[in-house]
Amino acid sequence: MIKFSDIKVSGVDYALILVVFILIFIGLIAIYSASFQVESPALKANFSRQILWFFISIIFMLVAIVIPTSAYQVSAYWLYGFAIILLVLTLVLNRGSSIARWITIGPFRFQPAEFAKIGAIIALARYLSYEQRKLTKLKDNAVAFGMVFLPFLLIVKQPDLGTAFIFLAIILPVLFWAGLSTFFLFAITAPAIVMIASFNYYTFFLAMILIAAALLFFRRGLVISLLIMVTNIGVGIVTPILWNHLHDYQKHRILTFLGVEMDPHGLSYQVIQSKVAIGSGGFLGKGLLKGTQTQLRFLPEQHTDFVFSVIGEEFGFIGSLVIIIMFLFLLLRGISIASKVRNRFSGLMVIGAVTTIGFHVIVNIGMTVGMMPVTGLPLPFLSYGGSFLITCMILIGIIINASIRWFRY
Amino acid sequence: MRQITSVEKRQYLYSILTVLLFLILIGRFFYLQIYKRTQYLKASEKNRIREVVIEPTRGLFIDRNGEVLVDNHPSYSVYAIPFEIKKADSVLNLAGKILNMKVTEIENVIKRERIGLFTPVKLKRQIDFETLTQIEEYKLDLPGIIYQIEPRRYYPSGVRAPHVFGYLGEINKSELDQSDFLGFRLGDIVGKKGLEKYYENELRGTRGYNYIEVDALGREIRGLKDRPEILPLPGKNFHLTLDAELQRSLEARMDTLRGGVVVVDCTNGAVIALVSKPDYDPEIFTKSISPEIWKSLVDDTTKPLYDRMVQSLYPPGSTYKIILAAAAIELGIIKPDWQAFCPGYTWLGRRKYDCWKPEGHGELDLMGAIEQSCNVYFYKLGLKVDLDNWANFSRYFLFGKSTNIDLIDEKSGFVPDRNYLDQQYGKDRWSKGLILNLSIGQGDLLVTPLQMVRLAMIIANEGLYYPLHLINYMEDPIDETKIFASIDSTRVSGISQKTFKILKQGMFRVCHGEHGTGRAASYRDITVAGKTGTAENPHGEDHAWFIGYAPADAPKIAFCILVENGGSGGKVAAPIAKLIIKNYFYQSRVKRDKI
Repeated sequence: MIKFSDIKVSGVDYALILVVFILIFIGLIAIYSASFQVESPALKANFSRQILWFFISIIFMLVAIVIPTSAYQVSAYWLYGFAIILLVLTLVLNRGSSIARWITIGPFRFQPAEFAKIGAIIALARYLSYEQRKLTKLKDNAVAFGMVFLPFLLIVKQPDLGTAFIFLAIILPVLFWAGLSTFFLFAITAPAIVMIASFNYYTFFLAMILIAAALLFFRRGLVISLLIMVTNIGVGIVTPILWNHLHDYQKHRILTFLGVEMDPHGLSYQVIQSKVAIGSGGFLGKGLLKGTQTQLRFLPEQHTDFVFSVIGEEFGFIGSLVIIIMFLFLLLRGISIASKVRNRFSGLMVIGAVTTIGFHVIVNIGMTVGMMPVTGLPLPFLSYGGSFLITCMILIGIIINASIRWFRY
Repeated sequence: MRQITSVEKRQYLYSILTVLLFLILIGRFFYLQIYKRTQYLKASEKNRIREVVIEPTRGLFIDRNGEVLVDNHPSYSVYAIPFEIKKADSVLNLAGKILNMKVTEIENVIKRERIGLFTPVKLKRQIDFETLTQIEEYKLDLPGIIYQIEPRRYYPSGVRAPHVFGYLGEINKSELDQSDFLGFRLGDIVGKKGLEKYYENELRGTRGYNYIEVDALGREIRGLKDRPEILPLPGKNFHLTLDAELQRSLEARMDTLRGGVVVVDCTNGAVIALVSKPDYDPEIFTKSISPEIWKSLVDDTTKPLYDRMVQSLYPPGSTYKIILAAAAIELGIIKPDWQAFCPGYTWLGRRKYDCWKPEGHGELDLMGAIEQSCNVYFYKLGLKVDLDNWANFSRYFLFGKSTNIDLIDEKSGFVPDRNYLDQQYGKDRWSKGLILNLSIGQGDLLVTPLQMVRLAMIIANEGLYYPLHLINYMEDPIDETKIFASIDSTRVSGISQKTFKILKQGMFRVCHGEHGTGRAASYRDITVAGKTGTAENPHGEDHAWFIGYAPADAPKIAFCILVENGGSGGKVAAPIAKLIIKNYFYQSRVKRDKI
């Protein structure tokens, strides 16, 4: 029985689209500023090219909105399969070169990993949308994990770790949304957190307290609670010992794999310059085209990965705050739509899209202020780049698609 | 109340988690942009503003008549900007080829001395003109390689005096730790020896700075209006007491010899000429000195790097008989008319001690003994005066004490006394023969030529002496203020005017007496008083000494001449005194005093 009062989201969510357009517009200003002093004509053209990409991406978004939701569901596994083939093809076609991320067709070059993000989200949503899936069953969980693990591995091979981690990042929220118990999520994520926390007595201690508190909260019986507690303490003790037994090159490999590279003159130089840019911006910023870190090009990758540092320097705390709040609005809006949609498949798709965008935002902005490793993930809507902007607009299209058909299947 | 559905529960949980993560991000921005703002603003200013050191002009050395002895010429030094260099191997290769340096060598210099990615590091000093042209020619292929003008010493007057001026060189690690060199970096040029080192702080001047806005590649964008250039202050010009004319002629005269000459104005202690030979061409240190040249200088057995007048110790030989004579007269041990007979030798116990003249001098009084430098007379006198008195009078004449001339590494010599001999040979176990040796200036007694010229000055002034100095005054080239060296006279203790008169009389007879050993020193109407010395030494032929002053009746200059292994003082050293007198009183541009 459908009550009229439940129809809160009707028609197109204009606020959402407006926020997205404002973000893109601010991104264009930042790209303009970042390319202002550059002598290279190729880089100077970034601004106008990004405008072109903007219009192209709008078309993709519209298409994503117009397609009936059922079409997504029907073609989900085909899309996923196609994405996997493309990923394999990428590796095959670029054999021999050290970086294999792109497929070139004529004048166009595109990143299959971007397409795979959308494919994985839709396929995962379809697989988990069947009511009969029992998330308590190991097999169903294993299949869901396998669906993201396959593209993860293929993209690690490219290698593009930042992008690969997106696939691991979407699985947990999507499973959570599909009804996986919070306790189960907790039980599988805790050891990973303990591993990272175990290198410092204080953080290890803190992690243990949090785990104990969570166990008290869940009340799953003494035996299970003790088992989890002991396992986590064991992991925390063993990890640093194992780590210290590794050779330097092995440590280096693992750190590189995790995206935390130990390179004082490369990556940390970028982060230092980014922090200097943002910190020196102060409350109001240095003003458009007046950021010395940006204009004198101390800031690396300033139109792509570090575009937010340009904003931090030239528009200050106020500018940064406005953008962060707009992203927050966008994500909360997405979560709200997911929860209101009566169709399980659409809701899962929206959560996948929201998580993908949110993960990019937090990792990218966190990177510019030195809280996250430098992984090369761009910032949605603001960073320069056509493929990625199109992906983001399709994700927005998917969210809006769900919001205008909330009651239908 | 409405029941919260499981969907809503999930929505709230996920939203709260998202908000929390974003709050952490906002907190981080607050921390960086508001709490830490000043620090990061400073860092961004440091990024964009390059501080360029403008080296001040080093002070000049000018002789007493205004002739420039040490001047500056522009030269070019090559620098690398580390950030740009590391981007391209081709730049390193090309730069290495042009500068004649290995690529690894360049990399090491940069690694060792860089202080920032964009601050230039000095690669090579004083490149020649051809290299400069090449760098200019390949400028576009050499991003990050720049050159700067840097003053370089040159010596226009023909005066070498390398030991006096010293030389400049790159600052070393231990100097960098000294408070004098705060803010200096490896590769900076400082005085290493001589006056250049002694007066480094005054000669150097004060650095200036230029502030330029640079981009991340180290390219200069524009000057900064809010940070005006700070001009350097030139170093002080040093007006020396040296007389270029006299110095040149003495350097020429001594050129083939080993030893040295020092001439001082005995009315104020000003050093008029200071020559030490063999020496080296000061020009070789104005370039980056090659290891081969440096090694050949260090290994040279004639020790050209050594300033013999200041750093070398010699037995003074017969010149030191004056000290014994002074002690004997002053203490009343003998009267000047005390006579002794010289048969050409004397016995002490079972050992025979020779006079320098085998056939003997016959009967001599004190004046005659000084005039002819009779050893036998002074052997006998030495036994009468005894060691303690001799050592005391040596100290009255300031032996064992350095002159504190404004040069580095001056030695202070050695006066043996009873304590020393007791230590050396056991208490009272030493032979009186040692006293005989010391009486004629041999044995363990060691002096520097500077101490000997001070002795000549003390006698000439009948006890009065002035600190030996090379600087007349230093002048600030901008406001022309002059700072003069303080020259307070001091009187030696323990010796009366009367005694000095007798010593002077004896020394006059050395140069003008019928049998005088120093007759070769006098020139025309200028009277001279002096004392010759022929010092035996373990390194071969005797050292020839001559010390004295002129004119004898109204002393103006005092001098000391030493020719290592030259033989007889009277024959080898005294003629050089004549050159000094001739040059100073007849040819020099110094206004000749009425005599």
